[in-house]
Amino acid sequence: MTEKCHHLTYREAGDGMAFDEARAFCTVTGSFVQPMRADVCNARYGLDPETDCEFYVEAESSPDGSETGDRDR
Amino acid sequence: MTYEDYRDGKPVVITAALTGGVHGKEAHPDLPEAPGEIATAAAACEDAGASVLHLHARRDNGERAFSTERFQAVADAVRDATDEAVLQHSTGGTGAPDALRHEPLRTDPAPEMASLDMGPLNRYERLTSENTRGLVASLHAEMRERSIKPELEVFNDGHFNESLAMLEELDDPPYLNFLFGGGTTSPPHPRTLLNRVEALPEGVEFNVIGFGPHQLPLTTQSILLGGHVRVGLEDNRYYERGELATNEQLVARAARIAEELGRPVATPEETRELLGLRGR
Repeated sequence: MTEKCHHLTYREAGDGMAFDEARAFCTVTGSFVQPMRADVCNARYGLDPETDCEFYVEAESSPDGSETGDRDR
Repeated sequence: MTYEDYRDGKPVVITAALTGGVHGKEAHPDLPEAPGEIATAAAACEDAGASVLHLHARRDNGERAFSTERFQAVADAVRDATDEAVLQHSTGGTGAPDALRHEPLRTDPAPEMASLDMGPLNRYERLTSENTRGLVASLHAEMRERSIKPELEVFNDGHFNESLAMLEELDDPPYLNFLFGGGTTSPPHPRTLLNRVEALPEGVEFNVIGFGPHQLPLTTQSILLGGHVRVGLEDNRYYERGELATNEQLVARAARIAEELGRPVATPEETRELLGLRGR
């Protein structure tokens, strides 16, 4: 994968928080993403969610591809 | 730096790490990210006793930024908001290409200080910040060229070895920053810090970071051992268990402890003299 993660969305609110500017939100963990991790989600600098993100790997390898939600980041 | 420095009442340099490059407002709603927010926090921390301001830059949405342009915006805002404090730019950047890691050094004027990560460290489950010897050397060369004092970031004993091997290349006094916490940082225990300080060559100044709950005890120990301290929301979000802190509160507490223990808090002018800085 060289494109941004398909589990990434940008939201102004969620997980009990609200922001003026839309921020990176992971639909696997059900939470906003730390700035350092957002570079992986966006596949910046050659980073690749498929190999560099444990949440992506876990979600994609689960039998039904289900999202785990509410995971500690 | 020794216990004798403590007994002699040597001033303590307090560095405020205001923002960092790992977490953001998702972890602490008041963590300063925009240049104006960082400048406001910087001014409050200078008033509370910080003489060095450790700076990172962010995008508008809080994500990491490494460009000279973004660092310039932060540095300009902080210079406008503060009186004399020393600006220290981070050159850290897990996953970022080497070329980008140089950009924080290229503001006008250059920062007086910059961080220099001394080797690899792990992040999360699948990331490593490589910090090759080649990158360390090239960052250090540019710092020398631009009269920027490096603060060597010693995350673990391997980095300590790397730092010791580099001492002769450094202007006096070498300034090493010891980091304590989990993962590839040093085990957070007073004994670890004591051993590290005992192994320091004469004439080296040291600073201490303790991540999370280790910030208070290990920075206090550093004061007793003649060292300096770094506090702030980059390293620790809490004032005490369950109570979120502000950068200003963490600096004020460090200053209060230093004064109570008999070491005055270094002014920016004293910091420049102690660390051999070129001036703002």
